[in-house]
Amino acid sequence: MRSKHLLGYRRRARVGVNVVMVLIVLLLVMPLWYVLNNAFKVEREILRRPLVLLPSAMTLDSVARSFVAMKYPRCFMNSAIVLVLSCGFLLSLGSLAAFGIAMANTRFLNTVYVVLVAMITLPFQLAMVPLIFLLKGLGLINSYLGIALVYTGWFMPFIIFLYTGFIRTVPKELEEAGRVDGCGLLRSFVSIYAPLLKPITGTVLILRGVPIWNDLLVPIITISRSTMSTLPLKLYSFIGTPGSTAIRWNLVFGSTFIVSLPILLVFLFLQRYFVRGVAAGAIKG
Amino acid sequence: MVKAGLSQIQRRHLVCFLFTLPALAVVFVFFLFPMLRALLFSFTNWDGIARTYQWVGLKNFEAVVADSVFKQIVFNTFYLAIIYVPVLNVVALLLAVGIYNAGKAGNVYRAMLFFPNLLSMTVIGMIWNIIYRYDGLLNQFLNAIGLKILIQDWLGQVNTVLPAMSVTIIWFAVGYYLLIYLAGLNTVPVEIYESAEVEGVSSWQKLVRITIPLIAPSITINAVLSTIGIITLFDLPFVLTRGGPGFKSQTIAMHVYAYAFQQLRTSYALALAVILGGFAILITALELNLLRRREEVAR
Repeated sequence: MRSKHLLGYRRRARVGVNVVMVLIVLLLVMPLWYVLNNAFKVEREILRRPLVLLPSAMTLDSVARSFVAMKYPRCFMNSAIVLVLSCGFLLSLGSLAAFGIAMANTRFLNTVYVVLVAMITLPFQLAMVPLIFLLKGLGLINSYLGIALVYTGWFMPFIIFLYTGFIRTVPKELEEAGRVDGCGLLRSFVSIYAPLLKPITGTVLILRGVPIWNDLLVPIITISRSTMSTLPLKLYSFIGTPGSTAIRWNLVFGSTFIVSLPILLVFLFLQRYFVRGVAAGAIKG
Repeated sequence: MVKAGLSQIQRRHLVCFLFTLPALAVVFVFFLFPMLRALLFSFTNWDGIARTYQWVGLKNFEAVVADSVFKQIVFNTFYLAIIYVPVLNVVALLLAVGIYNAGKAGNVYRAMLFFPNLLSMTVIGMIWNIIYRYDGLLNQFLNAIGLKILIQDWLGQVNTVLPAMSVTIIWFAVGYYLLIYLAGLNTVPVEIYESAEVEGVSSWQKLVRITIPLIAPSITINAVLSTIGIITLFDLPFVLTRGGPGFKSQTIAMHVYAYAFQQLRTSYALALAVILGGFAILITALELNLLRRREEVAR
């Protein structure tokens, strides 16, 4: 009797929660709908009834114009190269370093580890100015390698922190067994540990790959040549802060949409990995 | 025999050390070394180009503090932090509890609320700049629901620009923080809630007496992450308002950039960056200390 009452109460509570959540989600998703809807309208309909979908007034014109005007393929390639280089460095060097720290367990490397962890919270702005002069001196301005090294140095402490935490949870017997079979440390890293690191590598890619892909600050201070622009930098220099000057609304909405499109597609296919990645990173933190 | 064993361990330690070298080298050259230089050169008149420089003591710091914008940017940074951190965390926690209790549909809500966090802050800044315009979506909405008196230029006025900016940043960030709260909620045994329901405990009581104490570690993580995040945030306010009107929404992090790359005052930029770093370290340490103690009390 009592449990039946409880069940009814729960069902009613659940319906109430869902009604409230749907309203909140609709409200919070509205800015995204605003962009999506206006990106596909013919120019004269843009911003008139901004939230109403008018199938009769739909067109790919804004998207196509923006694609050409902002030299989208080139910028996409630039962004992709920066992302691949940065993540390549972070994943390979970071996991190897974390393996070394976890396996050695010496006082020196443990101290290094503590220093690295303390560095995670230091603001990038503290390094920014001397860093730019350093890059200029090394000829690494307007260079993919330069940007990638900046991200690698900045995010490496966090990556080593995540990998070390993970490797420490792997039973040590695994490496010892490898040693008995004549595996050197490098061999056991490559053939025993590296395959085990897949889930944490996914987390790393989500927690630092997305911010690298989206970042404006590092490109804005290291890139001056427009052919080297990443997508966010190009969007910024193309549209700027939409001020009071004559605004080409079709280009504003079209370019905002196409810049967001890659991450939207990735998210649609890999949604659960994103959710898991953020949660896993937080528990480690 | 013993000697041979020892050297083998030593060799092993050496190999481990070599493994860490490439990563440590990049961190040192491209992050730690520039930071140490910033710290050192903030006490000199180094301009980044000339090879010679002189020790000037606290002169740069004095000049930065005496600059007419200093009070404004410190005020703005702390104003944003003081609104943002508590509001963000309360909203994220409530939404997480909502998603947790919503059943299967929760996955859809979670995905939709998280998605803005994956967009570039450049995109977010532009979208919200358009929304806040005088002829923008927000004012059209207010007009439609009969609140014409509220219609105004949200980003153009001194007293609305920072609250408007806070709303945008919270909208952007909330999906990320609610995921961390959800992960915390999923570690709480369901039986606790069930027995509380049998006892007839109200939803509010459940939240305050059970949920919050049990997910205290998630609250600590989120409070610290969101504080560091807001203090060092650059892209979003930079694109949304460029610090305007005047310097009324300029933050310390944005002004380091302005000194260094717009006004070309390198030594000012270094001194302000050191002040920013000091704030970040101090606030993180204080917050960790306070919240960790609370966590222990809650247990």
